[in-house]
Amino acid sequence: MIIKKVQIENFLCYYSLKTFQFEDGLNIILGENNEGKTKFYEAVDWLFNGINNELENLVSAKKLQEIAPDDSFKVSVSMIVEQYNSEYKIVRSFTVNKSNDNEIETSNFVFEGQETDSTTGQRIPINGQVLLDRIFPFQIRKYSMFKGETELNVFENEEALANLINLFSDARHFEKYTEKGAFLREKAENAVEQSTKLNQKNQRAYSVLESEISQLEREKERLRVHLNSTEEEKTKLEKNIKEAEKYVDNAEALQTINKRIKNTEEKISYLNSRIDENYTTSLFDENWILVNFEPFHKEFAKKVSAHSKTRRELQSDFDKQKGIKEGEKKAKAELLNNAVPLPIGVPSKSHMEEMLNDEICKVCNREAKKGSEAYEFMMKRLKTYLESQVIEENEPEKDEPLFKFDYTNRLDNLSISHEDNLKNLRLIRSKIKDLFEFNDNRKKDIEDLKEQLEKEIKERERILGNSKIANEDKLISIFKNYTAWQEDLSVLNKDFFNLEAKQKEILKQLKLKKEEKDNIDLNSASSFLLKTRDILRHIEIVFNETKEKKFDEFIDKLESKSNKYLSQINVEAFTGQIKFSKKRYGGDRIKIEVSLFESGGRYFVPGTAVRTSLNISILLAISELANEVRDETYPMIFDAPTSSFGETKTGDFLNLIYETSNQKIILLKDFIGSIKNPNGTVKDLFIKDEFNSIKRKKAFWVKLERPFDKNELSTINTEVNPL
Amino acid sequence: MARKDDILKSFLTNELLETKYELKKEELPSTIREALNSDRPIIKAIALIVEGLEKSPSATDNELRNSILQFLNTAI
Repeated sequence: MIIKKVQIENFLCYYSLKTFQFEDGLNIILGENNEGKTKFYEAVDWLFNGINNELENLVSAKKLQEIAPDDSFKVSVSMIVEQYNSEYKIVRSFTVNKSNDNEIETSNFVFEGQETDSTTGQRIPINGQVLLDRIFPFQIRKYSMFKGETELNVFENEEALANLINLFSDARHFEKYTEKGAFLREKAENAVEQSTKLNQKNQRAYSVLESEISQLEREKERLRVHLNSTEEEKTKLEKNIKEAEKYVDNAEALQTINKRIKNTEEKISYLNSRIDENYTTSLFDENWILVNFEPFHKEFAKKVSAHSKTRRELQSDFDKQKGIKEGEKKAKAELLNNAVPLPIGVPSKSHMEEMLNDEICKVCNREAKKGSEAYEFMMKRLKTYLESQVIEENEPEKDEPLFKFDYTNRLDNLSISHEDNLKNLRLIRSKIKDLFEFNDNRKKDIEDLKEQLEKEIKERERILGNSKIANEDKLISIFKNYTAWQEDLSVLNKDFFNLEAKQKEILKQLKLKKEEKDNIDLNSASSFLLKTRDILRHIEIVFNETKEKKFDEFIDKLESKSNKYLSQINVEAFTGQIKFSKKRYGGDRIKIEVSLFESGGRYFVPGTAVRTSLNISILLAISELANEVRDETYPMIFDAPTSSFGETKTGDFLNLIYETSNQKIILLKDFIGSIKNPNGTVKDLFIKDEFNSIKRKKAFWVKLERPFDKNELSTINTEVNPL
Repeated sequence: MARKDDILKSFLTNELLETKYELKKEELPSTIREALNSDRPIIKAIALIVEGLEKSPSATDNELRNSILQFLNTAI
């Protein structure tokens, strides 16, 4: 089957009727991003799979704006294909009505087919879906249309293997044999059982065995179900992990950088807390203010010392005077022959004044002329009396010390204490210096850390910018999920391993019990039934093994063909070898894992370009198998399948595709150059000369009609230019 | 070669027939017709199943079982 023509009418950017005339072999549609390439793919996809839903979203805005209210037009995608020399047409279309208030209404959604009789040329209408499924079966279409690089991995889909086998493998013919083989064996075993049961001798032992086997079978089934569900969970988790792996590097890097940022911020905060710049407290509470105290102290100490000396001198004088007075007292006493003198005031003041006035001592009754010793004695006596009167009023007790309070001693102590403190005060300078140095160093450290923090924040922005998910929380959440999923997977793997071990044990026990049962059968059942059972058991084994063998042959064939294409696509480049590994899981299900190995048998993870080459190689191999098995070729449509390739590699790839047998329609954004305006915007586009060397049967360039307003959809119209 | 002959051949080349029934490769029939005339019960039983399943419409389970039992009843 080949697609001869595709016509797109008023579908999205395809305004009015646009036609693509294709040839068998390689057809290339070139187009810059957003100029109509993918819309071509979507038009064909809509033709094959479109439904009557949200049709208004498929209408050409330019056409819609152009028509008058109450007017209508048709939106359609049609395809003319050729198969076995007959021509068929399928058309999917609907009508658009523009109401008076510029609202859109869609109607007449139809999918029509048309077959042209090759002899008469008569056109026969036929249901579109019936015709499509006949000429281009759904199962084949699944392996014929691919959008982007990620869709190329057909084995992502678990059903892919079963589909491929049903479509292209001989193994599909053997499925019914395995079913019938099991049915016949089961019936033969039942017949043997019935026969054995007729023998009364073995009935009890047999029924015990049957019960045990039945219990083991139930356990086996339970384990099978459990294994299958565990495997499903594992597959789901593996898929999630694989999906997360696209982002996990960035997420992990983000996690790491966030930890570093947190650490740096904590360090800055800690260092800030260590900087002590409360100098006022230090100045007073820690006596920094006394840093220049020493000269004052010395002066103080000198003065205290001088003062102390003075005080001691005064004290000494005082003591001396006191001593003298004591001495005088003693001497007087000696003069009176140690007789006790009369008390002061005897004779009385008036008597003394009288006697002085009369110049007569009336005590001893002697004359005491003025100036005489006796007169002077009396005068002194009066004077002493008078003084004693004054002293009694003003003077302290005669025993009072010279200094009532010993402030001098306290000053001395203060001075000594200051002397002791001087040692600490002398350290204040270095303490101040140390603290300033410490604070300066911490400030410098903080500056360095802030610089580091700035770099780390920029790094975080870069990581977020590089990630397809720019939302930090989402990225972190992916990382958390990824870690949790990995832990879950590890648990599931352990569970799975344990279940498999249990399953093996059950199968072993089951085998033993069945052998025991067979032994009883051997002695009890009829020979014919036993022989029949054995033959049918062997036939079942043959059927199962043959199906398995056919399956393996198919996988080997697919692997070999895929490797052939892989080496062709990657001429002179390292690619490794594709290896299809059959993995049995849950006891009764099989899946295929596709990997790449180096020549030494070492597994390696391919980059995007090699992965794309691998997937395309498998698709080409599938296509080749389809040709062999069905004796018919089918077209393949790829939208941007090689976006990770460089232009040269894309060129090599296209030249390889050119050599393959069936029709390919490939949509690419390569080989288009642009002429820029001075402000950097695109003035015009052109096809590069390199495209001339690309082998192809047909090529088109889909390009927006210029000028257009990028903010106004109604100015958008994709032109189709054959090259 | 008809598809049913291909299918038969795929079964008959299984090692089990050689190990359990001592069938030599050169003795193996290449068509359903030959296999149905074989004096080896297992070969004929397989041929009966292939014939039954590849004809149109294919044999039902009971038809298949009866034909096999009927044949084995006389052959073993």
